[in-house]
Parts: sequence; C-alpha cells; structure tokens
Amino acid sequence: MKICVLIKQVPDKDSSLTIADDHLTLVENNITWVSNESDNYALEEALLLKEKHGGEVIACTLGKDSARQVLKDALAKGADRGIFISDSSFDNLDVLSLGKVIASTLEKENFDIIMSGLQSDDQGNSQLGLILAELLNMSHGSLVMGTEIIDDSTIRVKKELEGGWFQWTKLSLPASISIQSGINSPRYATLKGIMMVKKKTVDDVTASDISSDALESNVTINKIYVPDKTKETQFIEGSPEEISEKLVELFKNDIKVLN
Amino acid sequence: MTEETRQVLDVDVLFVGAGSASLAGALHLKRITGKAGLDISIAIIEKAREVGAHSLSGAIIDPRTLNELIPDHLEKGVPFEAEVAEEHMYYLSSKGKFRFPYLPKSMSHHGCYVASLGQFTRWLGKICEQEGIDIFCGFSGSELLYENEKVIGVRTGDRGIDKHGNHKSNFDQGVDIHAKTTVLGEGTRGSLTKTLINKFNLMQGKNPQVWAIGVKELWQMPKDSIKPGYVAHTMGFPLGHDIFGGAFIYGMKNDILDLGLVMGLDYKDPSIDPHHELQLLKTHPWVRSLLKNGKMIAYGAKSLPEGGYFSLPKLTVDGAMLIGDSAGFMNGQRLKGIHLAMKSGMEAAETILNALQKNDFSDSTLSDFQNRIDKSWIKTELYKVRNFHQAFDYGLLPALVNTGLGLLTGGRAWGVLNHLPSKNGHEHLTKLDSGSQSGGNGGNSKYDQLEFDGNYLFDKVTNVYHSATAHDEDQVPHLHVQDTDICINRCTEEFGNPCKYFCPADVYEMTGEDNNRHLQINFSNCVHCKTCDIMDPYQIIEWVPPEGGDGPAWVNL
Repeated sequence: MKICVLIKQVPDKDSSLTIADDHLTLVENNITWVSNESDNYALEEALLLKEKHGGEVIACTLGKDSARQVLKDALAKGADRGIFISDSSFDNLDVLSLGKVIASTLEKENFDIIMSGLQSDDQGNSQLGLILAELLNMSHGSLVMGTEIIDDSTIRVKKELEGGWFQWTKLSLPASISIQSGINSPRYATLKGIMMVKKKTVDDVTASDISSDALESNVTINKIYVPDKTKETQFIEGSPEEISEKLVELFKNDIKVLN
Repeated sequence: MTEETRQVLDVDVLFVGAGSASLAGALHLKRITGKAGLDISIAIIEKAREVGAHSLSGAIIDPRTLNELIPDHLEKGVPFEAEVAEEHMYYLSSKGKFRFPYLPKSMSHHGCYVASLGQFTRWLGKICEQEGIDIFCGFSGSELLYENEKVIGVRTGDRGIDKHGNHKSNFDQGVDIHAKTTVLGEGTRGSLTKTLINKFNLMQGKNPQVWAIGVKELWQMPKDSIKPGYVAHTMGFPLGHDIFGGAFIYGMKNDILDLGLVMGLDYKDPSIDPHHELQLLKTHPWVRSLLKNGKMIAYGAKSLPEGGYFSLPKLTVDGAMLIGDSAGFMNGQRLKGIHLAMKSGMEAAETILNALQKNDFSDSTLSDFQNRIDKSWIKTELYKVRNFHQAFDYGLLPALVNTGLGLLTGGRAWGVLNHLPSKNGHEHLTKLDSGSQSGGNGGNSKYDQLEFDGNYLFDKVTNVYHSATAHDEDQVPHLHVQDTDICINRCTEEFGNPCKYFCPADVYEMTGEDNNRHLQINFSNCVHCKTCDIMDPYQIIEWVPPEGGDGPAWVNL
C-alpha cells in the first residue's frame, strides 16, 4: 500500500488566541503551532496499515515555513518521506483551489490511499478529502472510525452515522479517507525515530511545480470574532416517561454525552 | 516491555534540559571538539514539546557570553527585542513612586538587551541543530543511571501510562541514554540535580541554596505606548520591607510590555501568595497607568536560584556535572543569570574536551570545572556580590546598606564580613500561633482589596489559561506528596497550608470539611516553576517531570 497522509499545522488549542485589530487574522506571535488533532489519528491509522500490509507512508503538508515541523514530527513517528508544499501565492486560496494544488502534487505519486483528518482545528472546512477524491478520481469515505484492507483493490471502512450508529462500507481503491479523531492511540515519536529524520527526504513543491487551471479564491473572510455567548433554555414537556425519553434522545443526539 | 527490551542509546555527551546553559555548552563543545579533530555525538533532552516552551525569564541579557560564543550573533538574527534604552529604579509606596537618584554602575543594564528567553533559546537551539547536535524534545529525564556510583547516563520517562499506572495502548518505555559525561542543565531546582546533590551531599560546607519565584505577565499594549528597551525596576510596594524582591517592567517590540514580580522564597508569613502580590502590584496607580488599554496575553512563573557564590554546590561527580541554574549560576544583585548559565556551559565544555582527550570522565578530571569557573570572570562577577542576598534576612533597608558597603569593599557583608551564612528558605516560614502573620487559614487580609475584574487583575485560573499549560489528565500526577496526613493535620494547624498560596497555578487545594478534608492536586495546572518543591515547610512535595511534552507552551516569556 502506498499511503499519503495530509497533515496541517494549526494553532494549538491551548494557546490563548488573540484576534488582530483588522478582525481578519489572528495575532500570530503568541501562538504555538501543532499538527492538527485528527490528522494525528490519520497518520497513526496509516502507520498501522503499513505495519500490517507493508508499503510506504508519505506525509504531506501545505503551509508556511514553520509547517515543516509537522513533517519532521510525522517522519519521527515513522512516515517514510515528506512532501512540503509552500508558496506565498497559496496564502489566500480557498479550499477548492488548495485541493487543486494538492491534487496536482499528488497525482503523479499514484497513491492507493490518501488519508486526512476529518477537519482542521482552525478553518474546519472538512472538504479537502472529498475534493481530492473528486479531482483524483478516487472513492471517498468520511467520518471514518475504522479501516480494514480487504485486498489490493478494496478497503472496508467503518463510518460514523447519526445517533450512535455506524456503517461498514466497502470502497474501491484508490480511496481518499477522512479520519475521525479518537479511532486509535497515536504513538509517540521515539528517540530513534527522531534520529532517523535526518536520513529521510522531504520534497519541496512550489507554485512553479503546480500544473493546474486558474487558482483563485471564491471565499473571502470578512470578519473573525469570538462567538457571542447566548444562553438557550429548552423546556421539555409531557409525562415523566416522555420527558425522560426526550432527555435521553437529547443527550444522545444533540449534546452527545451518551452513546 | 521488560528490562531486556529496553532501548539503549549511546552518545558521548548528554545534556539534560535545552536551556541557555546546555545549548551554549553543547554548541561550544561541538566546535572545540571539532577543532581538536574529535567527532563526537552530543544529545540534549528537553521535557518541553519544543525548545523554549518552558523557558521564562525577565529578561535582560548581558551579551558578554554571546560575544564569546557567537560573535556575529546580530548577523545571525539573534532575537533580541531591543538594546536597553532607558532604565529606572523606583521605590514604590502603596500610592507613590520615588526615583533612586543614583544607580551604581555595577547594577546598570547599559549595553544589555531586553529579550524573551523563550525566543532566545529557540534561536540558539536551531543553531545547535544546524551544527549537528541532536535535541530530543518531549523527553524528560526520569532518573540518573549509575554504575558503581559513577553516573553513566539518564533514563528518559515512560510515556503512555494512565492515571492508575497501567500501560496505555501507545505505551512507550523510557530509553536509557548512556553517555561518557552527563551534564545537568535542567534549570532551577532540577529534579535529577536534586537527587544527585542529595546522593553525593554536594551542598556540604555550602550555604543552602535559596530561591526566589518570578511571576510574569505579558501585555499587548496600544500602539507606541511602550518603548522597546524601556527598563524599570521597583522595590517596596507590594512586598514591603520584609520580603526580598521587586518588580520589573520591560518594553519589547510590537508594543508588548513585560510585567513581573520576583520575590524571595524565604518569606516568613505562610499566607503570602506570589501571584496575588503581582496582582497587588497592578493596583499601584503608576503601574496601573502603564497598563492602560492593554490586554494581558500570556502568563508564567518560574523559580530562580538567588543564593549566589556561597550556595554553589560541588559541581562535579564521577561522570556528571552541574551547570546553569541547576548549579545556581545567577547574579541576584544584577538580576541576571543567562550570561552566567551560558558561560558555565562553555566552561563545562572545555572541561569535557580535556576529559575526552584523556579518556577519563572521573571526578578527578571533571572537577577541573571548578578551577575553570574560579579562573573565569564568573567568579569575579559572583564573588563581588557573594553576600548580597543573605543580608535581606535583616530587611530591605539594612540589605541596601549592605549592598552599598559591598560595592565599596568588593562584596564584604556590612563592609566587614567575608561570608554571611544563610538558612533554607522554607525554614523562614513562621507557625500560625507565633502571631507574626496576618493570614492563617482564611488567607491573607492584604489581598482582600483585590478585585479580579478580568481586565487588569486576574485570578489564578485565568492566568494559568494564558500560560497555555496542558497535561494529559490520564497520567499519574507528577507532584508526589509523601504523606498527605501531614498536610491535612499538621500543616493546616501549623502553617495553614501555604501550598494553597505559594503555588502560582492553583495546583493545590484543600477540599472537604472537618474529617473529610483532603488535599486535591490539580497537577494539570502546573507551570513547572518548582516553588512547591522548594517552599513546602515539611519538604514532602517531590516535583518530578510529567509525561514528556506536557507543561506550559510559552512562546515569548
């Protein structure tokens, strides 16, 4: 199996975030940057598949220079090589255009599987895996909670549905799979793994390497702000049985504290 | 995973802690061994997720060592914020401010730079990596390894252990890193350093080390309201004359203001709260005016060794050395230690080169480190202020007289004595029934006036949020209290549980009532300052590193 894992560098959830005066960006000089949470699970899933079935895991990121660190971390955990896509002309592209850039980069590699986290902790578009499947003519599975390789051309994935339900689906390979957080226990980078990083390669990709039609952004950010805190009280009426039933329903589906 | 399968990594020299001392030491060692035709492997382990994330200082950096180590540091983009442009020293009353008419040259910061230590160590770390030094972040040292009483390396901490001590599915057994010489540059009150000092009785015949705690906030100010390179230090309010310490206010680039308070961990009143003292400082009209329309963006705390020359332990044993804050290379009078920490690392490197050439790493060779320190300007600088801190046992005014007489006599206490003794900081705490404190179990009434409005004054939990501290909750707490019965019974009665107050991160809480009281340890708040390990009156709190990578995520502190 030749597996690509897409990893994005995002602000640490534990950083205290400050919105810049222009209300369009975050103040970056007080942010710690980390690998996106669900991408870590995608990487672990890819490494587990490689351990079981052999093959190669390639970590790929698109970002500014500091994003090299997420590739280093992935290589230290066991990815075989990295692809670093970076160009200032990519800074303000929307997710479709970014998808075109990444698709153009990955096309020649002929991956069996492209794994990505379900969504990024910063933008939260949750679209890239699907866009890549479309652009690269791959099958697509999202909200994936488990994977199982059936044969060279088929993978079975466990998808999360509403209301605590799951669905096992067979997908033909190649496939783009978006991984839900929590499906495995991401490993730690080991000392030996960190020492191996120096011996692994990272290929740099810039705008001049991309063959794609006009890249543009059809999405503009008008304002970033902290959501207003509003209290919402819901009254449940009915007999005690009906109330408890509705309450369990709410706990399961809306608040999601029960399975 | 068993002992048979434990991985072993062999290196020539291992540094513990990627702070300024280790980074400077490792870089110098790499270069001088290269010049001598030796190709050696140097590793640094660091408990933080990245270099600099656990580094905190004022900071004003004296570039003296950097000029020796990296003379072209300006071309190499050293992240200094600004050269010290103006400096002030004030005595504060609760409302007023009095300027010291004269600043002795030896206490001036002329020619020094305002900087973020976290940014500085990140920069230095990158240079080390470029020159072939392996830095392993997210790895703590859990124990020193010995062979016949000789240090042979460090075992890194296990990772992936749950709160009951069981292995999680991603359990990763610690690695034994074997080294010809292990250099402990763990920083202040290092956990391995502490075991080494105790095992070999390295403080014998020395003054006990005394520490201070620094509590610091970063403020984003309106444009052009704080000048980069602005430096002010204060004495007096809020600490008064009985507590050693004072405040610092520095201007950084991009309209960021550093505001911090350093106070000695040898105060008497067990209800004193360093975090609250910093909040009190901000009620002073002048300080408050400086912060007008600003926004607090980061918080942190760290202890620092104040004991000076007479509190330096024996620096070497067979196979190991102590550098930087782990040893206590800090000039309390100049409020500076980074240049001394770095220089101590470089002198350690020179010693190690000699040891490598002789292939002898026993104490008889490594102890030459002490001679090198004594022949270097470190001794000259520290010896002149050798009695500075001890005199604060007598209060602020006598201490200032002592400082002045020391300046005239090359460091003699009261102008006469060569060597003032000191005692452990926690032994200064007075018991509740002795009537010398205003607090007790209800807390100190001097903090009653604090209104945590969330704009200028903050409670501890809000501040801790701004330290970006995170620990995996599913692990064994890294603060080991040997006997909580002492906390619940004896300490409550005798000292009113000072851990509730001296911890700047709200780690310690006494919960429940009467017979159901117990000590709750919110270890995930811990900002790794080590104050509890230092100041606990019964010395039953043991700070050990949590899972590697956990802790604060400081960027510009």
